[in-house]
Amino acid sequence: MEPLDIDLDEGELELPADPMHLNMGPSHPAMHGTVRIVLELSGETIVKADVQVGYLHRGFEKMCERGTWAQVFPYVDRLNYVSPMLNNVGYALAVEKLCGIAVPERCQWYRMALGELARISDHLTCNGAMAMELGAFTPFLWFVKAREMVWDILEEETGARLTHSFGRIGGMANPPTADFKAMCGMAVGKILGLVEEGEKMLLKNRIFIDRLQNVGPISGAEAVSLGWTGPCLRSTGIAYDIRKAHPYLKYDEVDFDVPVGTRGDTLDRFLCRLGEIRQSKRIIEQCIERMPDEGPINSDDPRVVLPGKTDVYTTIEGTIQHFKLIMEGAKVPAGEVYSYTEGGNGELGYYLVSDGSGTPYRVRIRPPCFQITGGLHRLIEGRMLADIVPTFGALNMIGGECDH
Amino acid sequence: MGTFKLDGKPIPFEPGDTVIKAAWRQGIEIPHYCWHPGLSAPANCRMCLVEIAPKPGQRPVVLDILELDASTGEYKPVQKPKLQPACYTPASEGLEIISDNSPHVRKARHDVQEFLLLNHPVDCPICDQSGECKLQDYWLEHGRYQKRMRDEPVHKPKGVVFGKTIVYDGERCVMCTRCVRFMAEVAKDPVLDMRERGNLNEIFVAPGRELDGHYTFMTEHVCPVGALTTQDFRFKARVWFLRTTPTVCQGCATGCNAHLDYDPRYNRAYRYRPRDNEKVNQFWMCDEGMLTYKEAHDGRALEAKVGGAVVSTAKALDAVKAMFAGVGPDAIAVVLSAQHSLEDNWALHELGTALVGAKSVYASGKPEGYQDAILIHRDKNPNTKGVAELAPGAKPVQALLDDVAAGRITHVLVVGSAATVDVEALRASKVVTIAAHDGPFAAVASVFLPATAWAEHSGTYVNARGMRQVGEAALQPQGDARPAWRQIADIATVLGYEAPWKKIRQVRAQLLGSAPIESTPSPSVSAPAE
Repeated sequence: MEPLDIDLDEGELELPADPMHLNMGPSHPAMHGTVRIVLELSGETIVKADVQVGYLHRGFEKMCERGTWAQVFPYVDRLNYVSPMLNNVGYALAVEKLCGIAVPERCQWYRMALGELARISDHLTCNGAMAMELGAFTPFLWFVKAREMVWDILEEETGARLTHSFGRIGGMANPPTADFKAMCGMAVGKILGLVEEGEKMLLKNRIFIDRLQNVGPISGAEAVSLGWTGPCLRSTGIAYDIRKAHPYLKYDEVDFDVPVGTRGDTLDRFLCRLGEIRQSKRIIEQCIERMPDEGPINSDDPRVVLPGKTDVYTTIEGTIQHFKLIMEGAKVPAGEVYSYTEGGNGELGYYLVSDGSGTPYRVRIRPPCFQITGGLHRLIEGRMLADIVPTFGALNMIGGECDH
Repeated sequence: MGTFKLDGKPIPFEPGDTVIKAAWRQGIEIPHYCWHPGLSAPANCRMCLVEIAPKPGQRPVVLDILELDASTGEYKPVQKPKLQPACYTPASEGLEIISDNSPHVRKARHDVQEFLLLNHPVDCPICDQSGECKLQDYWLEHGRYQKRMRDEPVHKPKGVVFGKTIVYDGERCVMCTRCVRFMAEVAKDPVLDMRERGNLNEIFVAPGRELDGHYTFMTEHVCPVGALTTQDFRFKARVWFLRTTPTVCQGCATGCNAHLDYDPRYNRAYRYRPRDNEKVNQFWMCDEGMLTYKEAHDGRALEAKVGGAVVSTAKALDAVKAMFAGVGPDAIAVVLSAQHSLEDNWALHELGTALVGAKSVYASGKPEGYQDAILIHRDKNPNTKGVAELAPGAKPVQALLDDVAAGRITHVLVVGSAATVDVEALRASKVVTIAAHDGPFAAVASVFLPATAWAEHSGTYVNARGMRQVGEAALQPQGDARPAWRQIADIATVLGYEAPWKKIRQVRAQLLGSAPIESTPSPSVSAPAE
């Protein structure tokens, strides 16, 4: 056989220079199984990235619109499934805004404490998973150990570790358990200890720092123009936190700081989340100190709140109230509302339209990571292929809420 | 015609109207139990109390009352306006009524609601009215309180059989007397009345009588709560699972407008409810008509048959093709049916006369029966006028029997299976019957094709007064049934013709020419269900 290159001259021996097309995901462990990035690579450098979402599209907004207002709660559990309590509370606040209901003070503190626990769980998952994807497995185990403590509390309170469905229009499904305050008080200190241990391992690691620092930087102005909120926006130095800017529940009555970054790179995003875990700890401690031990947890508005079971079984008024709420759903006054809270990833907004019936006419959800994922290609274009993993990981894209 | 103001909104009224009726005409509901637009007003439930603003220059009519001051625990004298029942207040020019906007009215509704529920049993889970009960609706709209009385409620007779059709529950009754007034005023048979007073009050049937006659179901229909239930619907279905479709009763030529309530999960009809139409049946239907919903399932013929043996529709159409091969148009007859819709009849008439060229047209239907001066018509067919309009020269079935006996007719195309005479003699000829139900014409059919009943398709019916009314499809077609006009189109195809109608829209376009459709329940004429 003749050698293949027998007729070739020198110039044709160079490696092919055409860009290579590569599908990263959706079935890729670092893409969380839900995102596909079509990459155009020149060597290992990303020339162009086309981020495609929608692999976890379940039509949850439409599903929400077929049951009663109260039957939406299990669906919103499954938006950002690492902090379902924040989704629950956000939806409850939106419907309550439409109904013009205020929940009792005890419930507000309770919602805040549970919500901050969920935020800790969200940030631990994001940071731990990102470290693991870079090969740092031990801190991941520590962060998940800390997260287990959060979930133990949530399980004790709600009966479920992940999908609590614990929010109710006008209150919560159950009042706090007798041990709630003690459990929180004990757990938050331990959680912080574990976080510090993991943090030490990572932030003294040259490789880890090098893979995050100055990777995927974004300016504050650009982040705002993309509609970014939450830790990703704050990492750029813009201290916009809905809990401070538009306080809801009792956030205006507690002391906490808004951690911000300076460069808006992946390391800043990582550090912002760690900072927020500490602030959540402060908020939880104030909540359990100030939450009354006695008093109603639910609003007394019979339009939306289920009566006590004794009343249902023994009085006609209770039976009617129960029947109307269960069979027809709470009649939310006709109108529309946009209600927004600080979710794990940023502004979690609910735009609800009611036609006055027991079923939502429209449930439009603004998931924070939809906008954030929309900026991913700007962060990774021009970078190396391997930079996608930490950059994408630190954005904390959650398919459940993003794809809608 | 003048106007008065209700909560600042101008309401036009006709002479003789009460405030509640004029508002009702405008689609505004002033809460009420005892008032019914088709009955007299006794003003005994007190739910419709409204405030009447004093005329300029007049002193307001007020009452001196004592009100508990929660802060001091003392009663203090205050004044409140004297509220008036809207069902008894004649509407007059310039009247100013304050209803939802008046705190006194809202308080009155709240208190009346609490009073009516004082002794009410905890029956919602086992009550047939649950889900369409005024007590439930108004508690949520105007009550929203929890029970204050913790004493044992007053017990009254439950499950009292008033007659073959109606069962009475005294504990659920709010004593609105709608049933009493209905029997006296509309059915003209004052067999119900009230006895005792106060919380012992109950409805009873006149001694020596039972609640019978032709309008007993309407006592249940007017009952705003679950006190009266029908033996027929009792414990059969929960109303929130039912869906409803506007339809036309098939029981007689009056063509009462009705709601057909059905459960889509089981494709089953559960009851009729009258649909208000002032021109036809006002608010009412008769017992016989109310029970005809059962014919959506009972006595149905759901399979194609050749010579009495069940076959596929395709095989039956092959049999029709073989049967009609080489038969001249003069030997073919078509029989229309007053039991079927105008669309079905038009399709057969079109096939027989325009395509095949037959000249012999006959009309069938059910025999005449009981009639009264209220609603029930002697003619027991929903579409007699429609058939007469379509084929003015149609001959009676007896003439067909004579023609077959004489050998002039050998092949017969029939829609509908009902007949007034014995049609056994038709076995001498070849009969193709397309019908929804079993009956004489189905029995003698050489080939039978199942048709959908009125509950399964959209159809037009012309009642005795010549009004075209459309009944909509509720159920999915059962068995192999398809709309008769569609079966007829397939027959046309196997006979070698091209039927010019494929969709109901095309059939309707042919029908619409002659007369406008009155009391059409829905915009089905412009957008028919396919």
